[in-house]
Amino acid sequence: MSFVSVNIEQGAETPVKLTRRALAKQRTRERVLAAARRLFSERGYEGATIRDIAQAAGMSTGAVFASFADKSELFEEILTADYEVIYAQMTQAARTAKTVDEALLGLFGVAYSFHVEQLPLLRASISVSWTRSEAAERRARNDLKHIFKLIGVALQRAVDEGQLKKDIDAKLLAEIVWDVYVANYRRAVYDGWSVEALLARLSDQLKVIFAGARA
Amino acid sequence: MGVRDEQKAATREKVLVAARDLFNDVGYEETTIRAIAERAGVSVGSVFTTFASKAEVLSHVMTHRLDELYAEFDRVIPVLRGSTTDRLCSIFAIHYAFETRRVKLFLAHIAASYNPSNEAGVTPYGRNPRLSQMLVDVLAEGVRKGEVRADLDLNLLVDTLKAAYAWNYRMAAAAGGDLPAAEMSAAMDRQIAVIAEGWKPR
Repeated sequence: MSFVSVNIEQGAETPVKLTRRALAKQRTRERVLAAARRLFSERGYEGATIRDIAQAAGMSTGAVFASFADKSELFEEILTADYEVIYAQMTQAARTAKTVDEALLGLFGVAYSFHVEQLPLLRASISVSWTRSEAAERRARNDLKHIFKLIGVALQRAVDEGQLKKDIDAKLLAEIVWDVYVANYRRAVYDGWSVEALLARLSDQLKVIFAGARA
Repeated sequence: MGVRDEQKAATREKVLVAARDLFNDVGYEETTIRAIAERAGVSVGSVFTTFASKAEVLSHVMTHRLDELYAEFDRVIPVLRGSTTDRLCSIFAIHYAFETRRVKLFLAHIAASYNPSNEAGVTPYGRNPRLSQMLVDVLAEGVRKGEVRADLDLNLLVDTLKAAYAWNYRMAAAAGGDLPAAEMSAAMDRQIAVIAEGWKPR
């Protein structure tokens, strides 16, 4: 049920002394990523070709392919980088909350704030998630486990603290919570809802979802 | 209707049928307006005088399809039996069965509705007032029968149910479009049961 890819546990990279060549390669990657981010936002995933991206980055398509195997790898790398930025904040927001509702509103609030600022890219990532290749789908699903783990931890804590019943189906509840979180983006995309409006709606939806599960 | 209007309506119908088949069989991205015109036996120009863009053609294909479905619902709804929960499960199951008949078309419609570059005239995925009304009616009936608490915001319940319904199609997307409707209905039944637990009078 994902629309984003997260790739959090890449393992700490050991610091290496970069050679001049490695530095140049790194700069090339960054230029490609910046150009790709802009074009995906403007034209969507299908609408932005590697040729366009290379041109916008001021290099040959061959140079782009030297850094990225294909367009989907390039796109996933952008989403992964974004998720690495917000994942720690989402974890933190969930950890410091007092109730399960607060925890979920906290962690999804981080995501809403981040994505509403760059809606076109979010739209492209949601759009792609419905038609991507099987390999890309597998990677994304695997990566999304991190977010579901955060939701799961919040639910488990609520059970332990007696906010939710002991016999809840946590997996099912997490799925529904995720569904409403994602579905709400439509309001931001088409109806111009603010982060506050999205969170107010999510808060009401959580009450509906948890109504039968409260201890 | 004048001759011109009749011709226009006939062209429109032919274009929508051709587009529906091509989007589902060949793929949305792969299908050009030219290919649609060829299959429909009309000129490229006449497609463009009727629709502003390919994305708009897709939106119209989807609403056109739903007209068929809801005509069927008008017949089915009065004879739906069982509890409020049973009826809701049936309504969603019928939707899943209907949309999985042309699942690639449906997934393309969702993808296009979120595409940042899309043109005007695109129906947002999830905006379906007829489905919402149908669900509100069933819940309101549930309130009258004492199966649903009277102090709840029914539109909010519908909003939550529809989110679960809409994103269960991700199961089909994840399976590359090859997934029996029954698997999505089964997931939806479990989700409805969880939410229904909260609206039971106590």
